[in-house]
Amino acid sequence: MRGLRGRLRILAVALIVIGIGTAIVFPDAARAAATLPILALFSVLRMVAAYLLSLLFAISYGHTAATNRRAATVMLPVMDILQSIPILGFFPFVLLFFVNGPLGDPVGIETAAVFLIFTSMAWNMAFGVYESITTLPQDLDQAARGFGLHGWLRFRLLAFPAMVPKLVYNSILSWTNGWFFLVASEIITTPRASYIRPGLGSFIYLAGQRGDLGGIAIGIAALATVVLLLDIFLWRPTSVWSERFRIETTAAGERPSLHVPSPYERLRWLPRFPRLRREVARRIQPLLDGYARSSSKLDRVYSSHRRVIRAVRRADIGMFVVIFVIVVATGLIGLVGFFQRPLPPGARDLPIAAAFSFSRLLLAYLTALAWTIPAAAWLGRSKWAARFVTPAFEISASIPATALQPLIIGFAVVVTMGGYFAGEIGAYLVSLFAMQWYLLFNLIAGVRSIPGDLDEAARGFGLRGRTYWRRLLLPALVPSLATGSITAWGAGWNALIVAEYLQFGQSVFSVTGLGASLYGATVVTGDYAMGYLTVLTMTAVVLILNKLLWRPIYKRAAVKYRMEV
Amino acid sequence: MGDAQPLLQVKDVSKSYFDNGKEFKILDRIRFELAEHDFVCVVGPSGCGKSTLLRIIVGLDTPTSGEVLFEGHPIRADNPQVAMVFQSFALFPWLTVAQNVELGLEALHEDPAKRRAVAKKFIDAVGLTGFENAYPRELSGGMKQRVGIARALAIEPLLLCMDEPFSSLDALTAQNLRDEILQLWSNPDLPPEAVLMVTHSIEEAVYLADRVIVLSSRPGRMVAELEIDLPRPRNRKDPEFYGWVDEIYSLIV
Repeated sequence: MRGLRGRLRILAVALIVIGIGTAIVFPDAARAAATLPILALFSVLRMVAAYLLSLLFAISYGHTAATNRRAATVMLPVMDILQSIPILGFFPFVLLFFVNGPLGDPVGIETAAVFLIFTSMAWNMAFGVYESITTLPQDLDQAARGFGLHGWLRFRLLAFPAMVPKLVYNSILSWTNGWFFLVASEIITTPRASYIRPGLGSFIYLAGQRGDLGGIAIGIAALATVVLLLDIFLWRPTSVWSERFRIETTAAGERPSLHVPSPYERLRWLPRFPRLRREVARRIQPLLDGYARSSSKLDRVYSSHRRVIRAVRRADIGMFVVIFVIVVATGLIGLVGFFQRPLPPGARDLPIAAAFSFSRLLLAYLTALAWTIPAAAWLGRSKWAARFVTPAFEISASIPATALQPLIIGFAVVVTMGGYFAGEIGAYLVSLFAMQWYLLFNLIAGVRSIPGDLDEAARGFGLRGRTYWRRLLLPALVPSLATGSITAWGAGWNALIVAEYLQFGQSVFSVTGLGASLYGATVVTGDYAMGYLTVLTMTAVVLILNKLLWRPIYKRAAVKYRMEV
Repeated sequence: MGDAQPLLQVKDVSKSYFDNGKEFKILDRIRFELAEHDFVCVVGPSGCGKSTLLRIIVGLDTPTSGEVLFEGHPIRADNPQVAMVFQSFALFPWLTVAQNVELGLEALHEDPAKRRAVAKKFIDAVGLTGFENAYPRELSGGMKQRVGIARALAIEPLLLCMDEPFSSLDALTAQNLRDEILQLWSNPDLPPEAVLMVTHSIEEAVYLADRVIVLSSRPGRMVAELEIDLPRPRNRKDPEFYGWVDEIYSLIV
């Protein structure tokens, strides 16, 4: 541990020296950088607000969907659709609702931003809660009933602890999604006005508009630092803690699930600060004891105040209804909007735009596939790679593609010397960066989950080279490939919305595609009927792909290629 | 209520499942009674519905027809006079040994001091002194089932229901726990008053029970109800012991 601390100290000194050096050479950039901590704070606060909302929502929504069969018939499909559609496309409409509503600027804008991040975080968490409760071993459920645990007591002692592992795992995923949307939500442009809220995302965006590469780099570095610090001090301890709630007995009747990478497997190289952690644990112990002491009193209060619980339930359902109504209302308003007028003239181009967008994503996906499969085969098995290469990838992956966008278009402009293809290359690269990490990390986890004896058996029978790949590695990777692909395509569609219309300095690079069409309609011309039609097209494409392509693949993978451990 | 009232009455319990309109009968008119101080074992081949029967008896499942009365009233799952021990232990992995044992007491809203004292008493009774703050994952199978037994006894039930409690343990551990259950049952100061146990091991049933109820397979029907009048402690090498085992064996096959 001493060695590690020593290395960290050297690293810190080096960073300070580099910082001072940069500050002397680029005084402007240094001045801008001084505002970063406060900007970071704003961004994190937005994320925290959205996360807390998501947490509350996920627990009550998932719990209700899992325990109330009648409610589930509506709640499950809604959750399924909202999880897979490109939410970012609906943002302009949600924005219209909040900005033109009674709240206005800045409260309305901030609410809209938090709401956008919330919609990107909530669904997978709610699914996690739903799955935890529906896969609860029957014996535990019966023991709880047999010993008379009802209502609040049952929730506190059985349902909530059972959801902790999946809730924590999905929280980490949600934060990754959230950063992507945070960057997009801090700059809000409507045809009439542009709103910029202080934060790391807007810092990067503004630097991009100035064509200030140093500023972009500093902003991205700050964002990556914040993400990694949160990983060290929040998510890693939380996921270690969540292991305690894992149920080991595999009960009969449990549905087959694909291998999910444990949060442990992520960022295993980060420092752990054991002393600091013990200190914190010691400090919060009295709090936990106090809670334990008062919990039985609380139980009594809760069970004598059934109304309180019912009120909480009702508030949650109310929240769901509000969200549902907003979505349906914006949908209906849009529909009415276009039945009143003839189809917008751009509508005829939408199928072509969809084809272009799809090909772009397909190209990015194939590129990602081509490099991530061999990379994962190597990274998953080489100790050396896990130690030195994986960290580099994990740092890169912690930067959301939305933040990389100005850097990417800058690069594309330099490469093509400002030609038309700058837009194409930019859009392709942004999609690639949005998609590839999901594939890579899922595949690495897949390689790591190959049972040791299976690998030994393969080698023992002399499987080598191509036969080894064909008979063991590739089949074993199918489940993680399916999971990774579904997530990657989801992220890709969202990325397209920001990727097809890029700005660098004074130049605008727009390509043919649904994302560009949406941006043009909602931001440039203000033709909301056209924008609405575009989002509808995109949603339809995504849902059709999900139903006809991904769902069957996933199901097959879950049955045929699952490792029984 | 007269003195003659049995503790538990199982009255013509039948259970069927319906799949695509087709009826699958699991249990067919099971009928028996259990009095205080009884130790009854239900044996049968696997798939004869004995676990379902036990779940119906403790109120966790409902019969298609017939009824179960405890002290003359229809049974309810959360009746604190009846406690259940599971084959899979069914311990809550996020609670310590003591917290698991206190589970039923918490549901009864006992105050924490009393809860702790009662839990301590039964943790000691099953020989787990010193493991109060351990988590289930840190314990061996035998110790886990001790926690399961202590948890059931902590609510001081009249009737202890056990669903193949020893079948996931190794032979030696299982034998030790069998003797301990017998001791607890015969100790008038400690619960339970009566034990109802489901098992597929005929030897186990003959070793433990006063009375053995033999079920046939698919659907589960009562084949026989036998009084085992061997003196205790019973000796497995005794030819009379083997006589009983053989008799039950021939009834099942």
